Amino acid sequence: MKVVEPNEKVAIKLKVNGKEYEEVVEPRRLLVHVLRDLGFTGVHVGCDSSNCGACTVIMNGKSVKSCTLLAIEANEAEITTVEGLSSNGKLHPIQEGFWEKHGLQCGYCTPGMIMEAYFLLKENPNPTEEEIREGISGNLCRCTGYQNIVEAIKYASEKMKKQEIEKTT
Amino acid sequence: MYPPKFGYVIPESVKEAIEFLESHDDARPLAGGHSLIPMLKLRIIRPSYLVELKTLQELKGLRKEGENYVIGALATHYEVKNAKIPLLSQTASVIADPQVRNMGTIGGSISNADPLSDYPAPLIAMDAKVIITSSKGERQVEFSQFQKDMFTTDLSQGELVKAIVAPLLQGYRTVYEKLERKAGDYAIVGVAVALKEEEGVIKDVRIGLTAVNNKAMRAKASEEILINNSLSEDLISKAAIAAIDYANPTSDIRGSAEYKKKMVKVMTEKALKSLVR
Repeated sequence: MKVVEPNEKVAIKLKVNGKEYEEVVEPRRLLVHVLRDLGFTGVHVGCDSSNCGACTVIMNGKSVKSCTLLAIEANEAEITTVEGLSSNGKLHPIQEGFWEKHGLQCGYCTPGMIMEAYFLLKENPNPTEEEIREGISGNLCRCTGYQNIVEAIKYASEKMKKQEIEKTT
Repeated sequence: MYPPKFGYVIPESVKEAIEFLESHDDARPLAGGHSLIPMLKLRIIRPSYLVELKTLQELKGLRKEGENYVIGALATHYEVKNAKIPLLSQTASVIADPQVRNMGTIGGSISNADPLSDYPAPLIAMDAKVIITSSKGERQVEFSQFQKDMFTTDLSQGELVKAIVAPLLQGYRTVYEKLERKAGDYAIVGVAVALKEEEGVIKDVRIGLTAVNNKAMRAKASEEILINNSLSEDLISKAAIAAIDYANPTSDIRGSAEYKKKMVKVMTEKALKSLVR
């Protein structure tokens, strides 16, 4: 049994976007703050009360709201943030979808939206409009009225399908 | 918002977790944390230590065992949703939002006993049981006895929910109807129904209500109206009106008490109508 006393700090290991990091944290420190301090400022603090989803990241394959997780809970976890999506200077199809379909205005909710879309499309590569809307029900956007965000995710779903076919042929 | 200072305990077994919780009155177990961490951030609670449960294998797993499903306390809403358990999976699919469902657990939810939570409606309708583990061994209680009052359960300090036992409900048609103010919110009214017919006659019916009382209730009078009859529109209406007597809601941002009572009738009616063949 490992006991960290209330005034003690503890070393944790995180693998963020494929790179390992070691941080020393108080048990009460939130994951979102650790990620931002590591430079992953695409992880936004929006409502800070697990409503808005701006802090959404992928942890061990599942989308989570990093404002409602202790950093110590994420010890040894693999985390993907929006910074980890593009590869070789090319945007991820979801990012491309938000660009092409004008899926953002102020952009504050966008990284969270993109990460939740990433989880949604991993679970369900061919979502219907209703499934997309349900899938992003944990992410709030106050600008777009969601219409173009839904279009962007549809675009990404089709593009990813095409890429999959190209890969296999 | 930053949580207050607390210590953090990572036990290697349920035994170690229980021993620590027993000897530290103000230590709290941490499962998915999606009620606990918001409460910490709002400084509603100030535990001395959090005891991490997430790695404890004995609290995990989701399997069929004879006539029942045995659902480990640490099963997330995401896992319950995908497990194809009658009534319970459908209910899990409408809890909060996808991110919360990826973290929140069934054991944590029922231990927190928020009166507005969803699980109590199906669990009371299913006559589910709760397996509780402590240093004295294991005991099993009916879910109806497990929930005592709002945010109050049968658990003592040092006791943990190990698993939930839910019957297979073979031959039943089931539905959970939830009225919510906005996507991902707590229920204004939640109605769970399980119904079994033989040749068009109702042989068993269970109606569980959540969010309109300090704890989930069975609408027994409604059940009695329906049993040994066939599911007609007239009877559904009578049963739905009878359900109102089991609601004792409070007025809050989600609506007035009067509105919520009316919604008990509306949602019960909707649930029963959806089960008409």
